[in-house]
Amino acid sequence: MEGSTRTVAGQSHRLGAGGQIDRNAPLNFSFDGKEMTGFAGDTLASALVANGVRLVGRSFKYHRPRGILTAGPEEPNALVELRTGARREANTRATTSELYDGLVAQSQNRWPSLRHDFMSVNQLASPIFVAGFYYKTFMWPAKFWEALYEPAIRRAAGLGKTAGIADPDHYDKAWAHCDVLVVGGGATGLAAALSAGRAGARVILCDDDSRLGGRLQSDGGVIDGVDALQWVQSAVAELSSLPNVRIMTRTAVFGVYDSGDFGALERVNDHVPQPPEHQVRQRLWRIAAKRSVVGAGAIERPIVFPGNDRPAVMMASAVRTYVNRFAALPGKRIALFVNNDDGWSTVDAIRRAGVEVAAVIDPRGKPATGDYSGIRVIQGVVADVGGSVDGVSSITVAGAGGNQKIDADCLAMSGGWNPNLALSCFHRGKPEWRDDIAAFVPANAPAGMTMAGAANGDLSLGACLRTGHAAGAMAAAEAGAKGKSGNAAKASDEAFSIKPLWHVQVKGKAFVDFQHDVTASDVKLAQREGYESVEHLKRYTTLGMATDQGKTSNVTGLAIMADAVGRSIADTGTTVYRPPYAPVAIGALAGHNRDENFHATRLTPSHHWAAERGAVFVDTGLWKRAQWFPLPGETDWLQSVTREVLAVRNGVGFCDVSTLGKVDVRGADAGTFLDRVYINAFSALGVGKARYGLMLREDGIVMDDGTTSRLAEDHYFMTTTTAKAGPVMQHLEFCRQVLWPELDVQLSSATDQWAQFSIAGPRTRDLLQALVDPSEDMSNEGFPFMGVRTVKLRGGMEARLFRISFSGEMAFEIAVPARYGEAMARNLMIAGEPFGVTPYGTEALGVMRIEKGHVAGPELNGTTTAGDLGLGKMASKKKDFIGRVLSQREALTAPDRQVVVGIRPVDKTRRLRSGAHIVPKGAVPGPETDQGYVTSVCFSPTQNQWLGLGLVSHGAERHGEIVKAHDPLRNETYDVELCSPVFYDPEGVRQRA
Amino acid sequence: MRIACPFCGARDSGEFTYLGDASPKRPDAPIDGGTAVEDQFYDYVYLRDNVAGLTREYWYHGGGCRSWLIAERSTTTHEFKSVTAAPGAGAAKAKQAGER
Amino acid sequence: MPDFVWSSQSPLKKALVPGRHGAGKAAPGVSLSHVSDIALVQVMTRRGRNADVAKAAKKLFGAEPPAALKISSGKVVTLVWSGPDQFLAFSELPQTAPSVEQQEQAFAGSASLSNQSDGRCQIRISGPNARDALAKMTSLDLHDTVFPVGSAATTSIDHTAVNFWREADDASGNPVYVALVFTSFSDTLWHLFVESSLEYGVEVAAIGAGH
Repeated sequence: MEGSTRTVAGQSHRLGAGGQIDRNAPLNFSFDGKEMTGFAGDTLASALVANGVRLVGRSFKYHRPRGILTAGPEEPNALVELRTGARREANTRATTSELYDGLVAQSQNRWPSLRHDFMSVNQLASPIFVAGFYYKTFMWPAKFWEALYEPAIRRAAGLGKTAGIADPDHYDKAWAHCDVLVVGGGATGLAAALSAGRAGARVILCDDDSRLGGRLQSDGGVIDGVDALQWVQSAVAELSSLPNVRIMTRTAVFGVYDSGDFGALERVNDHVPQPPEHQVRQRLWRIAAKRSVVGAGAIERPIVFPGNDRPAVMMASAVRTYVNRFAALPGKRIALFVNNDDGWSTVDAIRRAGVEVAAVIDPRGKPATGDYSGIRVIQGVVADVGGSVDGVSSITVAGAGGNQKIDADCLAMSGGWNPNLALSCFHRGKPEWRDDIAAFVPANAPAGMTMAGAANGDLSLGACLRTGHAAGAMAAAEAGAKGKSGNAAKASDEAFSIKPLWHVQVKGKAFVDFQHDVTASDVKLAQREGYESVEHLKRYTTLGMATDQGKTSNVTGLAIMADAVGRSIADTGTTVYRPPYAPVAIGALAGHNRDENFHATRLTPSHHWAAERGAVFVDTGLWKRAQWFPLPGETDWLQSVTREVLAVRNGVGFCDVSTLGKVDVRGADAGTFLDRVYINAFSALGVGKARYGLMLREDGIVMDDGTTSRLAEDHYFMTTTTAKAGPVMQHLEFCRQVLWPELDVQLSSATDQWAQFSIAGPRTRDLLQALVDPSEDMSNEGFPFMGVRTVKLRGGMEARLFRISFSGEMAFEIAVPARYGEAMARNLMIAGEPFGVTPYGTEALGVMRIEKGHVAGPELNGTTTAGDLGLGKMASKKKDFIGRVLSQREALTAPDRQVVVGIRPVDKTRRLRSGAHIVPKGAVPGPETDQGYVTSVCFSPTQNQWLGLGLVSHGAERHGEIVKAHDPLRNETYDVELCSPVFYDPEGVRQRA
Repeated sequence: MRIACPFCGARDSGEFTYLGDASPKRPDAPIDGGTAVEDQFYDYVYLRDNVAGLTREYWYHGGGCRSWLIAERSTTTHEFKSVTAAPGAGAAKAKQAGER
Repeated sequence: MPDFVWSSQSPLKKALVPGRHGAGKAAPGVSLSHVSDIALVQVMTRRGRNADVAKAAKKLFGAEPPAALKISSGKVVTLVWSGPDQFLAFSELPQTAPSVEQQEQAFAGSASLSNQSDGRCQIRISGPNARDALAKMTSLDLHDTVFPVGSAATTSIDHTAVNFWREADDASGNPVYVALVFTSFSDTLWHLFVESSLEYGVEVAAIGAGH
């Protein structure tokens, strides 16, 4: 492409030849409504450059016109809103967005248009927008903060706007495993992947870019005697041929976590308008790697001088990328401002593109080597940049002979290179300063990670290939690979010399952090005001806190601080590095787990049957439970629930209670084990009997309750509450494995094995007579209260039958293997039909347990003792059990503890509400007079009023007392009577009938 | 993060639950132990050293083999030095309470 | 009163839709199937009784208890390692497998048993992209060198405990995996299996019943 200045029609700054773009595949796109054309292989940024677009955004604080600064993921300026409608994504880096046909992008943070931005008046007020502006300005009056300041700041803040509607695309998460993870597919990474892969290690090679090669794509060179791009091609071909190597392009490794797990984001379909059907837009990878080699390269840093943020002031390496890789010209008369040898390589790129080099400004003068004949070289610095919103038109250079003005339409700058060492620092590794390259290099990377190539400060191509190869071979060997790695590829070690130049000390706005509009004078102001530590500097000025996380600005900012304080850069140090290295969409972090898949759900064995009947379901933990079963004509949940309660109280009903936790407790010492777990005794429980049990935490507070039956000498069947099934199982395993390993006991969760239904009501026995085989004795004597046995059912089925009651009615629980759960529900409907059988849901279940004064979750709330629940007498005095000792502590047995009590409004028409506080009649409600609160409420169809349970101080001795219920949430206060918690059948006649 | 279960091998940390310090030993609790026993239990339930460095702690492989494990972990680096099974994991026969 | 009909119901009766789903028209990348009415008993060795359990297993199933992280195949029953000194006796042929009562007898005093035939739901996943789909669900490394045929694991999918093992490869040489998931979670996890497979194309077989 030597000397080719012929441009492509419509693309004013596109070269006629060269580059890694496909001129036969034109792509249409629009930016701020203007239609343009690019080529396959372009990024949005390179296509904008090719179309001569320089102004691409407005800065965060001052709304200054900004152009494209870089050609990579470190870009601070060229952020756009990509796509439209629900797929619109704010703050998307144009430099990493691959162009596709029909791409639509909008500039951000400007109104009414990018060229004429109203908020740019902020620039005029810039003296007040200095570092610490927010802290100084919005201090007082305090009440103004919420009403005035915060809303105003929020309106002005931020760059792009989110879509505001649900993202229609899918995301998922996946795991990958390897011996060696290679981060970065440039010269270093390719060399590492080759040596590790040849040795036989399982290798994953990740690169953020759509194609491998890294800087070789932009800078070329000669490797093993061939053109660098040709070498890349053969390296990729070799890697692809190895079955143990997996290449993942468009995949950014954003973090390293404990024990060698990495986070990576694969942009699966960001390069197309929308993902093909059944495919995801992005995929979050968790990569478990035994070893890793990080060849993440280096990031070129800007120089701080007045006007350095004007559009078309660009990183020198970016100019080379646009020219060489994309055949796009950032300018047609390009000046260079560099302080290191690498920056000078830009001269060759510009010359070969057939564009004019306006001048090279270097405070060191011309380098010792290299042919720069015919190039205007000025020993000096850039003191100002002239131009308009559309970019550079002239450059003021300060040199030995005073100031001079140079015409140029683009300024390429290079202040040196910062090794991209973020991954080495995410575990609090502190980088070290190296004077010879004037940069921080990795010092103590996490275990198993090797930094190599430019990321480790080895900036020459030869060194990248050597260190990459060595690191890959070592990582493979450490991971157990036995093969040979072959020889490292060879390239020359070009000289690199640099004279640090951070800040051109002349008057004018000189930017350090382009995205957050932090200037050199902001850094100095922070120092003067005492914010010298880099962490303070960061918070005070917001340096490095924008979406780019200061990739182009952090080191420069702290160097200027070091200079202001008079410390060395090494002593000043860096701020703490934290993942993610690059932005990760929340959608990718959520993956599959959104909307109805937010979490896994559990269905009961009768779920589909209940759904058929129109049941309303409620989430109970992960379970979906039938809450009530509305009948045609019922318009209100209370109507349905009341009907269900009365149907049970007067006839018979059934409810799926399979969600209760169930545990098979077996072994020679099962009884002893349960004696130690429960406060009451189980070893003496007869086979065929059930008993209510209460277990405590070791601190004496109630953990859970449930009914446990003895099915055989060495077999107990425990039930737990639905909510505590998991925690109780974990607790029991702890007791078995840690506390009492001498006991022979084995545990198995049987929750899902059984479909269990509660059948309750005075006609229960009638229903069961119809269901069970005639040989079964279902009389009160034949099947007494708290009895358990296996019964035969008509039609050749066996079921476990437990005579236990939660509702206070004559009741049984019947259990069959889960596969017969639906059949059981249908057969209960048939068997109970003559008796008006009614399925009921969790609401009716709750009403009946409150009427009966049975405690449940709201009372077993992690603050109550057995005594508080009125169950203190259950505790055995003859044995030790978990929680026994501490439950006897003074505070847990104090007479004024809040204990379970019944509560009913004096006005029988009034609705009682949970959470209302109980205070003595005549007292002013408040913390001093508070005596407890309402825990559970229901409308009781049998008492025909709202009533509830509560925890009230001295409650047991105060039955009959009128107190006040105070509900500050609803601003209600009303009289209630404290009473026995057992509202219904206090003698318990019905359940024993 | 992966944790090496002695039974299952290295597994994602999401399969494990942390309980806490594995050093305190549940005191024997005679029925008539009085306040001396209460003090011992108070220590057992509440008193913990806040160690910067290696600690012994209980982890539960509930998302896997349901074994209780005792891990030596550094609180400063998260590194697991060792993970061993609780004395009663599996069917190993212990002669007395808490035998390791 | 007439006798009642007790028909068995797979927990996947609603979720499982047989046929070809997802991308592509050619051969599916993933095949999913489910067998209902399995026989499954959890066998937990009592303290110090490993030798007795091994003897009883050999006699009853014709297979030794599985080594850690392995399965052990008997005549009709597969023994799947499920934790230290415990395993699952799994069969898709409950009619020919030893009954729960026979197992109780054989292991009396040496192991504690828990019938889980209805507590778990079997899902089989195979095909050239089975591993890709599984990578979205399990943190296990399923590489041939790490998880060869005959390997077993107790692990979690979507924070839910599952038993998981690898059977012999299918006729085309593609890997075959079986997961036993808790019955109440099976509907939700089945959807996860299908959705994870859609991009590769998935063939869902009609529900098979154990015999």
